[in-house]
Amino acid sequence: MSETTMPFPRRAGLLSAILRQPLAPWLYLAPALVALAVWIYGPLGYALWLSFHEWNMLPFAPIRSVGTLNYERLIDLPEMAQALRNTLWYLLGLLPLTVALPVAAAILTQDLAPRWRNLYRGLIFVPLIIAPVAAAAVWRWLLDPGFGLVNMAIQALGFYPVRFLQSPDLAIWTIVWITGWKLIGFSTLIVSASLANINPALIEAARLDGATEWQVTRRIRLPLLSPVIFLLVLLTILLGAQWSFTYIHVLTQGGPLGSSNNIYYLLWQFGFGSLAAGWASAAGILLFAGFGVVAAGLLWLMNRVTFHDN
Amino acid sequence: MKTVRHLLLGAIAAALPFPAFAQMAPAIEEPVTIRFYNYNLASAGLGREGTLEMLGTFAEANPLINVEGVPVPSSEVMSRVQADVIAGQGPDIAQIIFADLGYLVENFGVPALDDIAPAEELDEHLSGMFPRGIELARVDGDLYGLAYVFSTPVLFYNADLFIEAGLDPDQPPRTWEDVSAAAIAIHEATGNPGLLTGIFGPSAYDWLYQGFLRSNGGRVMSEDRGTMMFAEPEAVEALATLRAIAQAGAMPLVPSSSAIEAMSSGNAGMYLQTSAVQGALLRGAEGNFDLRAAPMPTFGDQQATPTNSGSALVIMTQDPVRQRAAWELMQHLTSDYGYTVITSQIGYVPLRQNAVTSEEYLAPFLRANPVVQPNIDQLDSLVPWVPLPGPSYRQILTVMMNASEQAVFGADDNIETILADAQSRAQSLVPR
Repeated sequence: MSETTMPFPRRAGLLSAILRQPLAPWLYLAPALVALAVWIYGPLGYALWLSFHEWNMLPFAPIRSVGTLNYERLIDLPEMAQALRNTLWYLLGLLPLTVALPVAAAILTQDLAPRWRNLYRGLIFVPLIIAPVAAAAVWRWLLDPGFGLVNMAIQALGFYPVRFLQSPDLAIWTIVWITGWKLIGFSTLIVSASLANINPALIEAARLDGATEWQVTRRIRLPLLSPVIFLLVLLTILLGAQWSFTYIHVLTQGGPLGSSNNIYYLLWQFGFGSLAAGWASAAGILLFAGFGVVAAGLLWLMNRVTFHDN
Repeated sequence: MKTVRHLLLGAIAAALPFPAFAQMAPAIEEPVTIRFYNYNLASAGLGREGTLEMLGTFAEANPLINVEGVPVPSSEVMSRVQADVIAGQGPDIAQIIFADLGYLVENFGVPALDDIAPAEELDEHLSGMFPRGIELARVDGDLYGLAYVFSTPVLFYNADLFIEAGLDPDQPPRTWEDVSAAAIAIHEATGNPGLLTGIFGPSAYDWLYQGFLRSNGGRVMSEDRGTMMFAEPEAVEALATLRAIAQAGAMPLVPSSSAIEAMSSGNAGMYLQTSAVQGALLRGAEGNFDLRAAPMPTFGDQQATPTNSGSALVIMTQDPVRQRAAWELMQHLTSDYGYTVITSQIGYVPLRQNAVTSEEYLAPFLRANPVVQPNIDQLDSLVPWVPLPGPSYRQILTVMMNASEQAVFGADDNIETILADAQSRAQSLVPR
């Protein structure tokens, strides 16, 4: 008989073990867990489900199951290869502007008198606070081949006007520059904050030992900045192409001939044109998966190559 | 017939998600606010001022009706309307581009105008309008709106640059061969672009493209809207003509906003574009250069078939009082007075005969601005802009227009292949 009676007390033991767990930690975690479920995982699951359906989001329109058709259509777009290539160019083009230049600017201004340092950094920061659409409109006027100030200067020097936004060879680099120009201030701010956190004793000790400025920068500042530099690289790679979205939308709409299109803008064009929830969700899932892999790789790399001062 | 349909509608109303269409309220007795989505309001210098003036006179004449004009760029009207309807905040009346009208009517439960408006009022208002204009807002036999701002493609040209290039400005190009020759001559003589067009670009849709292909006997799609046809030989031939001009350097790839600026500052020879830009061009040309206009060019001896661009006013609200308010606004905007403002200040075609001939309205303006005339003359040969089919109509548009732009301006000479490939992809998006 013992076999048949055994499960009963064992189950009671499991139940009481669960009940004996303190409740408080779960209650403390609840708001965060609920928020995650409601705002992140719920929509993610819903998007995944929608990506296999065709629906234009109207409450009274039918939702039609289409299998993997949405994914096939997106991957088959001939514009896809060009947009992926352009996305890579965007990232490569942005890195000098969002990482190299800000690090240089922050280090060069670090040892200035506070007043001048703040003035320089303030000037570098200004583009960030201009509304993106307004900035884009101003750049369009500046760069216009007919009457733009930049082109008037170029003509005054005796050259032909440059079609910055109309030439398929130049448009992407123009957008890269405008996106980067907006971000230099942000990156400089972060690098400056990190520089200010470096223990001055390390630098003073090095100077006492006769280290040159270059040696201080190379051997002390750059290694100690490595986590923040890597963070900027990470942000640029993961978000850089997204940051250019506004400028693409306002200035070129991906043109001329798709030359300034990137993956975000392309998927937006096809996914959101008529609120096609299926296309848009499939596009979102593709981006999520693709950049998820990239992010995981970068985080792994970050933990291996950066240096932390304890 | 009408009562039978009303009875049927009433009988099936319970089974439908849309409420039954009752007639609108007979009059406005209490203050009411209606939301009006309008794309002219979103384009300063291209219609905002004229639209505001019309809304101002409407407010004076109808103190109980408060119109909240919401500016929405033309390329975003449909997605904005859709998003707001989903959120339960749709417009009461909206300016809907003809390309979007089919989709709107098929999906949004829009009340038909001849169901909600009193028949005698509707008949009286429609009696002075050009019949062709009225037909454009009819979907499957029912009238869903009133053609509002409406334009045809016009070949604007800069007579000064024509003279500079040794061309006769009194003999504007009639055929595409003439256009090609003139464009190349102007480019070589002055260094300016010889020809710009509004065929491509993000806010161009396919309205001018449809007319361009049809002028050469081609079509974007079959008449039943079931088969895409933009890779047929007629279409390829038409695009090859444009490509030749582009290859000769006489037609650079310029976005539509820059094209208007180039033309209105006197830096382009010819500009094929909607007559809606006429106001902006005239302002730039005044005291600067001699702006003239010719009808859309033909292919050889074939007749040019201009398509219309533009939009209709559609009442979207289900509320009888708001419907009345929207109907009053609609009548005001499409009155003789309305078309006088629309034509003289914005540059669209007047759709009322009386507004055209009356001294009180447009006659003096038309005498002073002969540049408008080709636009009115073309109303006779006009073919309607046909909306692309199905729920993926926007994606079809993007596929088609990207490929066609590539065919004209791209590096690859093999434009048959580009178009055939795009056509098969577009076809897969057409509902079967």
